[in-house]
Amino acid sequence: MDPAEFTEEEQGRYDRQIRLWGIEAQQRMRNATILVVKLKGTATETIKNIVLAGIGKLILVDADDVEEVDLGAGFFFCDDDVGKKRVDAAKARIENLNPLVTVEIVPNFDVLDNQNFESTVNGVDLVCITDWDRDDLIRLNNICRRLRKPFYAGGTYGLLGYIFCDLLDHKYISPDRSSPKDAQKNVQVTASYSPLQDALRHRWSALSKRQTKELKPASVFAILSLWQFQSARNRLPLGTQDIEELQQTADALVSGADVNRQVLTTVPRSLIESVAMTAPHEFSPVCAIVGGLLAQDILKTLAAREPPIANFLTFDGNTGGASVCRLSMP
Amino acid sequence: MSTAVGRTKHAEAILGSELHTRLSFTKVLVVGAGGIGCELLKTLVLTGFTQITLLDLDTIDLSNLNRQFLFRTKDVKKPKSITAARAASSFNPNVKISPIFGNIKDEEYDIDWFKGFGVVLNALDNLDARRHVNRMCMAAEVPLVESGTAGYLGQVQPLVKDATECFDCIPKPTPKSFPVCTIRSTPSQPIHCIVWSKSYLMGQLFGRDEDAGETSELDEAENNGENVEEIANLRKEAQSFSRVRAAIRSYTPNSTSTADQDNDPAKLAFQKIFSSDIQNLLNMGDMWKHREPPVPLDYNQIISGTFILDRQGSNKAKEESNRVNGASSLNGTGNKKTAEKVVMKDQRKLTLKENLVLFNTSVQSLSMRLSTSQVQTIEFDKDDEDTLDFVTAASNLRSAAYGIEGKSKWEVKEMAGNIIPAIATTNAIIAGLIVLQALNLLRASPSTRPSSSEPVNATTAAPSSSSTVASPASADYSLLRNVHIQLKPSVPLSSVTCSSPNPNCGVCRDVYTLVRCDRTQTTLRDVVQGVLGWTSGQSQNREGAIENGQSQNGNRNENENGSNDDDDDGSERKEISVYEDKRILVDPDWDDNLDRTLDSLNVGRGKFISIVDEEGDWETVQVVIGELPASHPSTASPYILPSPLPKLVKRKKIKPLVPSVPSTPPPRLSLKRSLPTDADDGDVMIIDGHNGNGRTRDGDGEGQRALKKPRLGAYDNQRDAKTTTPTMDLTSPGKRKRLEEDGLVLMDGPGEVDEFEEDVIVIDDD
Repeated sequence: MDPAEFTEEEQGRYDRQIRLWGIEAQQRMRNATILVVKLKGTATETIKNIVLAGIGKLILVDADDVEEVDLGAGFFFCDDDVGKKRVDAAKARIENLNPLVTVEIVPNFDVLDNQNFESTVNGVDLVCITDWDRDDLIRLNNICRRLRKPFYAGGTYGLLGYIFCDLLDHKYISPDRSSPKDAQKNVQVTASYSPLQDALRHRWSALSKRQTKELKPASVFAILSLWQFQSARNRLPLGTQDIEELQQTADALVSGADVNRQVLTTVPRSLIESVAMTAPHEFSPVCAIVGGLLAQDILKTLAAREPPIANFLTFDGNTGGASVCRLSMP
Repeated sequence: MSTAVGRTKHAEAILGSELHTRLSFTKVLVVGAGGIGCELLKTLVLTGFTQITLLDLDTIDLSNLNRQFLFRTKDVKKPKSITAARAASSFNPNVKISPIFGNIKDEEYDIDWFKGFGVVLNALDNLDARRHVNRMCMAAEVPLVESGTAGYLGQVQPLVKDATECFDCIPKPTPKSFPVCTIRSTPSQPIHCIVWSKSYLMGQLFGRDEDAGETSELDEAENNGENVEEIANLRKEAQSFSRVRAAIRSYTPNSTSTADQDNDPAKLAFQKIFSSDIQNLLNMGDMWKHREPPVPLDYNQIISGTFILDRQGSNKAKEESNRVNGASSLNGTGNKKTAEKVVMKDQRKLTLKENLVLFNTSVQSLSMRLSTSQVQTIEFDKDDEDTLDFVTAASNLRSAAYGIEGKSKWEVKEMAGNIIPAIATTNAIIAGLIVLQALNLLRASPSTRPSSSEPVNATTAAPSSSSTVASPASADYSLLRNVHIQLKPSVPLSSVTCSSPNPNCGVCRDVYTLVRCDRTQTTLRDVVQGVLGWTSGQSQNREGAIENGQSQNGNRNENENGSNDDDDDGSERKEISVYEDKRILVDPDWDDNLDRTLDSLNVGRGKFISIVDEEGDWETVQVVIGELPASHPSTASPYILPSPLPKLVKRKKIKPLVPSVPSTPPPRLSLKRSLPTDADDGDVMIIDGHNGNGRTRDGDGEGQRALKKPRLGAYDNQRDAKTTTPTMDLTSPGKRKRLEEDGLVLMDGPGEVDEFEEDVIVIDDD
């Protein structure tokens, strides 16, 4: 688009962020179409942020109706929306956030079938799947990879949250933070990402004790064991009755990944209990944080500035900390 | 009311029903309805807090809409608090949000008011208000969650008196300021010219009659040994603004007669400022022995395109003179395609002639406003296009005269307006983290702690083993964390346990107490001696105030060491000084004020009277002045002393810790006072470090005094304090400093964003 087309309104509205990431980044965002699948708390926050930032177009897919529990983290819905399609209820409120963004809704999940998904993905610049199960994420990731589209997945389980991304071979510009502070130059970097199915086979052998510790492996394996559990049982854990199975699943994954045994041999019982009790629930502060991190990373990727997540972020609402592991990435 | 009972199901499952129930009884104060505030309000409402007071003094601007998602274009110019409260109420009809369109520093928001809240959440954008709320929360003993964002970075810090450090436990850098003479006669950087035109020239031309602060500022500079001759010259220069001011205030546009054209305020101002004043400066030969002299500008030659800036040996000057001859130095509109570089209108640098034209039109617009409307003065406001145009043009013209690089309007706006880049995502993350810490504060509160038998509570508890937090009473603050958003790729959110209070902190180590009184009938002596238990006629003065009949001496003898040394016994009268904020009311050699009423001393409601032990044995006692209850009988004593009287706390004699912020020498305030502030209100007493009355403490270094009196004079006027801080461009070290000034302690380097550069180096990351 011609820069001259940046209207007074756009300049005024985006002033504070253009001062951060520059007008070219803003331009790239404006030209981007983003596909977001499933409208739960994480997506609500993510969408709010990328729409405010000024992406070009949002395509939002969700087949389900608004339930009462959705009002807990879904601020695009109000009481009267219970029973309506989520996307129908949310559309006007999303458009209201920023009239400069186009919003298209798809009220069914047929679009995720292999054939449909390919044609949809061809028309977008980036795919973001939220609160979805692992096995399907692997399938959708592989399709995106084949079509060379950047892929994000994110979601929350109670107080825990995650973001995974496969950005293929992503080029970006970033200040070289390894050089002295006052002599930093911009460098162009290319990062090679792994698809989720490879990332899940990651082994931690190469990391020192300190490096391992820093990455908070307990949170990582709590998420991975939830995914494993869900894949095996076709549901999330529902409470005390699932604690034992979840613990065994988690510990098997830990030992299988060759995590430094001085740091972690078993995922702490308290964490497993917390996860087993709260996994199906979503909590507004956690959604805000994970959705904030997810949206920021999508914007960074679109702008091709600053290093994006590489490639698996976990957030722990017990401490407020987040760490990023490079799963099967150099 | 919402009938959707399922709405709270998730939150209850995660918090446990006990804690979740408590949310609806907890009164929350949110200070600020801007970037963090909007996000915070949303998250609080959804989490289950139902009694929220939201205070903000600002109105909505178009540039807020990229992140303050509760506002729409149609809301521009409406109060933020009221608009945000209405919008967020729709997220849950069961909540009650009480908006206040006001200033947190107003006297009605006193200690009693703060005590009415279970937790206070800061969502502020300036250091001054943050400090104020911190102090009020320390005094009222209400837990506070402090927060800040700048660009991609942000932080959240829970603060509890005596349990964690407070906001002032770590000294904050003082605002960057420049010597008067640098600004007024020897600028060498763009920022010097911008500060000059925004803070000095704006005031001279469009401000109050011959700016009040002017004389004192020069007096001060003279006293501090700046060049005497130069200052005499600056005095003369300031006096001769009257003709220009008169022309501005009698301006009528469209006049055609020559007489009127001679009275064109823009041309008059230009001639004085950029020609004769500079000419005068050149006469001061000494000044230019070791630096390049400025070049007076010629109005007519610039208009006709024949002006040549003749600065020998200066490359910058050559650039400038090239520009003069019509060739514009812009990106984007030039003849060759400039690599598709995107530039907005205001990002273009103006030529000398364009700056002059902009100077003319902006002076004329501003003059129109003064000559035709009710407005008496016009101050710089970055969102007021005329003033921004004026500052842009005037600073660029001055830069040209001094051979300094010019700046685009876009850049000037950021530097003059102290704009900190802001995005929705950072605010959303920080707001979520604030709520998580607020929940930890509730979990910690001893009275109604969730029972540990509930499985969910047990499991949501964070590991507490490595806590360094002192735990007074039975409260368990080990869950609290300071969280930072940082640039480190492997740890984007760092979460660390909170530190203990700094034993030298001049805010949270003080002893706070409340005296309710009728200020017209209560003397300073009543308050000071009453609180210290020094009253001669105790029985009279304390009648009706002390209910438990506790002996004064007994009271005085208590201190944390149980020590009862004669020396340390507060019952012995000690040498004290008394302050109200930075004003000295009493010192050991001067107690004339003791028998004056508080009212006559202008000590209003909510003010703090600080009683300082000159020997430094006891922590300072801060007496908060409150209102008498309505039920107080008019025949009774005009004041109510606290009961029991405050315990004097023996000061821990600890050598100052190595500050975690690089220790710099304390600001020589009188010398380095930041140039002209929009803030000076005349009645601030400036105390320098040498008057012997500073509240110095034993063993405290100079740096400690800076901590105790972190901001004087120039930093005094609430939210505009920011505007006294000159700013640098995004990539400069000044950027980092500026962020830190706003209370953001950067852990991992600032989020510097360079413009795309041509010379990028390609590195393959494999």
